[in-house]
Amino acid sequence: MNQPVTIIMIEDDEGHARLIERNIRRSGVNNDIVPFTNGTAAVNYLFGKDGTGFDHKGRALLILLDLNLPDMTGIDILRRVKENRYLKTAPVVVLTTTDDSHEIKRCYDLGCNVYITKPVNYDSFANAIRQLGLFFSVIQVPPAAT
Amino acid sequence: VTPDAKRRRAIGQILLLVAGLVVLTIISAGSVHLVNRARQDARWVLHTVEVENQLSFAQLQLHRAESAQRGYLSTLLPNFQTDFEDAASQLTPSLQRLSQLVSDNPVQRRLLDELLPLLNQRMDEFRHIIELARMRRIDDATRVVREGIGRDAMKQIDDVAGRMRAEEDRLFVERTTNADRSQSLAASMTWVGSGFVVVLAGISILLIRRSARARDDAEALLRDANLNLEATIDERTADLREANDEIQRFAYIVSHDLRSPLVNIMGFTSELEQLRDDIFKRIATLGRASPSPAAAGAAMAEPVLEEEDKQLAQDFSEALEFIKSSIAKMDRLISAILNLTREGRREFEPVRIDTRELIQGIVTTVAHQAAEAKAQIRVEPLPHIVSDRLALEQIFSNLIDNALKYLKPGVPGDISVRGRTKLGFAIFEVADNGRGIDPKDHQRIFELFRRAGAQDRPGQGIGLAHVRAMVRRLGGTMSVSSELHCGSTFTITLPINWAGSTGNRIA
Repeated sequence: MNQPVTIIMIEDDEGHARLIERNIRRSGVNNDIVPFTNGTAAVNYLFGKDGTGFDHKGRALLILLDLNLPDMTGIDILRRVKENRYLKTAPVVVLTTTDDSHEIKRCYDLGCNVYITKPVNYDSFANAIRQLGLFFSVIQVPPAAT
Repeated sequence: VTPDAKRRRAIGQILLLVAGLVVLTIISAGSVHLVNRARQDARWVLHTVEVENQLSFAQLQLHRAESAQRGYLSTLLPNFQTDFEDAASQLTPSLQRLSQLVSDNPVQRRLLDELLPLLNQRMDEFRHIIELARMRRIDDATRVVREGIGRDAMKQIDDVAGRMRAEEDRLFVERTTNADRSQSLAASMTWVGSGFVVVLAGISILLIRRSARARDDAEALLRDANLNLEATIDERTADLREANDEIQRFAYIVSHDLRSPLVNIMGFTSELEQLRDDIFKRIATLGRASPSPAAAGAAMAEPVLEEEDKQLAQDFSEALEFIKSSIAKMDRLISAILNLTREGRREFEPVRIDTRELIQGIVTTVAHQAAEAKAQIRVEPLPHIVSDRLALEQIFSNLIDNALKYLKPGVPGDISVRGRTKLGFAIFEVADNGRGIDPKDHQRIFELFRRAGAQDRPGQGIGLAHVRAMVRRLGGTMSVSSELHCGSTFTITLPINWAGSTGNRIA
C-alpha cells in the first residue's frame, strides 16, 4: 500500500455506523473512516462540486455502502461510482439489510465488489465486520485513475 | 324501458288478441245467424210462391171440372165424366195442401175457410148436373145451369182467390224485402268485422314492431353493459392486483425497515453485555482492593463478587437475556413475513405432478424425525394433478411436519395421506392420530402468528397461514376436522387441472 486507503462509509443509521466502525477498529484497521448519513452528502463528497470526481484523482478509496438511504437508493450511488472514470476502480462493499436475491444480483451487475447482508444476530454481525476489517487490512486498493 | 311500461305493453298485446278473437267470434256468429235468417226468408218467399201455385192449381182443376161437366152435358160422352172425376180427385189433395200451407196465416185461413164451402158447393153442383145428365134428365140439368146459381158462386170463388193471391203477393213483397235486408245485413256485418280485424291487426303489427325495437335497444344496452362489466372486472382485477402488490411491497419495506433498528438493538445489547463484563470485573477488583494481591490475581481470571453485586450482575444478565430473546423472536417474525411476501411474489407455474411421488419425497426427508417420534407415514395412491410443484411441496411438507410435531406423547404416531377425485377436483387428506385441535381453534390456526394448544413446540404460527394462502392461490380450499386428543384431518381440495395465470398474482 503506497498510500493509506480512506474508507468512505455511507450509512444512514448512526447506530449501524457506530457498530461498524467499532468492529472495524477492533479488527485492527486504523485507516481513516469518513462517515456520511445520507446519500446527497456522500455524492457531493465523492464527485466534488463539479460532479466529475476529479478531487479524488490518485487517491485510494474503499466505499462501504448501505442501499436503504433516506434521500436516494444506494444502487444509484453504486452506478454513478462505477461509471465515473476516477472512482470506478475503488472497491465497493455493499452492506445492507436487504437480502433480496434480485437486489444482490443487480448490485453485482453494476460492479459491486462484495455484498454483505447485515445479520441481526450481533455475534455474526460483529464477526462479519471484523472479517471485513481483516479483509481491508490485506486488500490492495489501486489509486483512482489518473 | 321501465318494467311498468313493459307490463302495460304485454297487457295491451293480450287485450288486442282478445278483442280480435271477440270480433271474429261475433262476425262468425252474426254471419251464421244472418245466413240462417236469409235462408229462412228465402223459404218463406218460396212458401208464398207455392201457395199461389196451389191456389192456381186448385182454380185450374175447378175450371177443368166445369169444362168437363159442360162437355158431358152437351155430348154425354163418358170421356168428359172421366175428365171430371180426374179433376175432382186432383182438387181435393190440392186443397188439402193449400190448407196446410196457409195454416200459419190467419188471414189466408179465413179466406180459405170462406173458399172451401164455395168450392164444395160448386163441385156438388157439377156432380148433381152430371148425375142428372147421366139419368137422361137433360132438361133438369140445363135448367140448373141456366139458373146461373153456379156463375155467382164461380165469381165469388174467383174473388176470394184473388184476395188470397193479393195477400200472398203482399207477403211475397214483404218477405223478399226481408230476405234482401238479411243478406245486406250479413254482407255489411262481414265488411265491418273485416275492417275491425284489419285495424286490430294493424295495431298489433305496430305494437310488435315497437316491442321488437325495444328488444333490440335492450339487447344493445345489455351488450354495452356486458362490455362495461368486463371492463369493470378488468379494472377491478387490476386494482386488486395493484393493491396486492402494494401490500407485498409494504410488508417487504416494513420488515426491512424494522430489521434495521433491530440490528442496532441487538448490536448495542451485545455491546452492553461486554460492558457489563467489564463493569463487574472492575467492581470485583475494587471491592477486593484491600485483600491480598493473590486474591486480586484470581479475580482477574474469574471475578468473585460480593453477594449484593452478584445479585446485581444476575439481574443485569437476566434483563439482557430477555432483550436478546425478544429480539431473536422479532427477527424470526420479520424473516417469516419477508419469506411470505417473497412467496407471494413468486409466479406459480402449472406442471403435471405425480402427487404420490412428490409426497414420498417429502416423507423421505422427514424420515429421521418420524423415526424419532416412532411414527409411521402411510401414503395411499393419490391422483395426479396439474399444479405448482414447489407450492404443493410446501403445502404437504408443512402438513406432514405439523402432524409429526404435534403427536400424542407416548403413542406411536400414525400419519396417512389419502386422496380421491370429485368433479374436477382432487381431494387430499392428511390424517394423524396426534393431540388434535379444539374445535374453537379451527379458524385460529389458519391465522398468521396464531397457534393453538400447548405451546411446547418451536414455531411462529406461520405454517398453516402460508399453506392456506398457497392453496387459495392454486384455486383450492382447505379445512380441518379434529377433536382434542383424537387426531386431526386436514382436507385440501385442489383443481385437477389448474390453468394458472388467472389471479396468479393475487395471493
